[in-house]
Amino acid sequence: MALPDIPVVAETGALTGNARAVLGEVETLLDGLLRTGEGGIVDIRGLPLSPGDRIWLLEQLGKGEVEIHLDIGGRSRILETAYPAVWWIEHCDEGGHLISEFIQVAYVPELISAHPDDVESGLEHLRNRNADLS
Amino acid sequence: MSDNRILETLAGQGISRRAFLKYCATLASLMALPPSAGKAFAEALAKAPRPSVIWLPFQECTGCTESITRSHSPSIEGMIFDMISLDYQETLMAAAGHQAEAALHEAMERNMGKYILIVDGSVPLGLDGAYSCIAGRSNLEMLKEVAQGAAAIVAMGSCAAYGGLPKANPNPTGAVAVSDVIKDKPIVNIPGCPPIPAVITGVLAHYLTFGSLPELDHLGRPKSFYGETIHDRCYRRPFYDQGKFAKTFDDEGARKGWCLFELGCKGPVTYNACASVKWNGGTSWPVESGHGCLGCSEPDFWDAGSFYKALSMPANPLKLAAGAAVAGAVAGIAISVSNKARKGAAKTGHETTTLADLEKHHE
Repeated sequence: MALPDIPVVAETGALTGNARAVLGEVETLLDGLLRTGEGGIVDIRGLPLSPGDRIWLLEQLGKGEVEIHLDIGGRSRILETAYPAVWWIEHCDEGGHLISEFIQVAYVPELISAHPDDVESGLEHLRNRNADLS
Repeated sequence: MSDNRILETLAGQGISRRAFLKYCATLASLMALPPSAGKAFAEALAKAPRPSVIWLPFQECTGCTESITRSHSPSIEGMIFDMISLDYQETLMAAAGHQAEAALHEAMERNMGKYILIVDGSVPLGLDGAYSCIAGRSNLEMLKEVAQGAAAIVAMGSCAAYGGLPKANPNPTGAVAVSDVIKDKPIVNIPGCPPIPAVITGVLAHYLTFGSLPELDHLGRPKSFYGETIHDRCYRRPFYDQGKFAKTFDDEGARKGWCLFELGCKGPVTYNACASVKWNGGTSWPVESGHGCLGCSEPDFWDAGSFYKALSMPANPLKLAAGAAVAGAVAGIAISVSNKARKGAAKTGHETTTLADLEKHHE
């Protein structure tokens, strides 16, 4: 018997009402970003949301223009929502399992930015490359 | 202790700074630290040295080791093992017999006073410890010897933390917890049958970051993972507050995902992080799969009567009176009452978190 054939299946799509509170938090963070330049992060996995709540939240936030895929110790996806500066961030491990999920309110998520130490190291490599070529 | 710094070690294995930041963000999430803590966590962890770890398995079923090593590898747990120097672990190490014993003593001598000792399994005291021996020596003798040079001890799983299943009535081997034997070393209990892999990761990461053990509750458990009940963090909590309960495992309430309290869920009296960290790579956890919590991270849960008896019915030794009292809880505003740690996080979510803030958080 395959799993879908089992007649008793709990509905995980039920809404608990908790996701609405998250939308309110996002509104507060976005307002703060405009006023002070400092946004914030909401940790989705740490909140008591049902699978249905999560889907509802994704639907409410919608999809924007930017979608970034990263391959850093497993896939990660940074998705701009329909609200500019509100990003949905998903991190998966190398087995493809979702390990953490955040809503970040920022003009650009800092994970995208290059670290100065890495830039310095890259510059050194580039200089060596150019020296070898000349 | 190795002089290698963690980020350098990881970079040597092709793990980039962004991957490390991602790891730290996830770790901060697992540890219920403020979401903004990931960056500060990464900065401190990157500079930390790799500590030596000695892992002793005693009277146990190897379920704890399986939980850590087979959970969803390669994984976040895999990364923490790159951050430590695991010098002795009988199940995982290639060496056997005299070579293994030599590796143990070499690691002890080289890192005397500085290594972390992980123990899984209980310690049998009956028949002078003869019920469980390694290399002709009892677990009791071995624990006392290795604990002497340890900076701290991690008692992993309910057996090491409380005596576990071997201690169940009538406790034929005289099984006891690590803390019943060792009194002069800091001990962290990470109970669960098995414990959540991320919890051991979190404890090690905390030690690496702050050079100290995390804040513990009255049972020696890290508050960051065991600070609140399963019930407090359960996504079905609003149904409890609304008085919507499944009465059987296949009724309408069960299908609608209502609260499992009346089917014996021990969530209201069980302190663990299953509801937020989940199992099998975050796939699900018992309550999400339709079964109540067994209370496996609480002492003597197997002697507490039926797993399917509601907490409001008499049984022992879990704190069932407290569980019954919860039945009168007030409805509404589930998120705000369900997670005190998150409330603190929300307050600090608007500010940049520094390492100093994290240290304050853990004092």
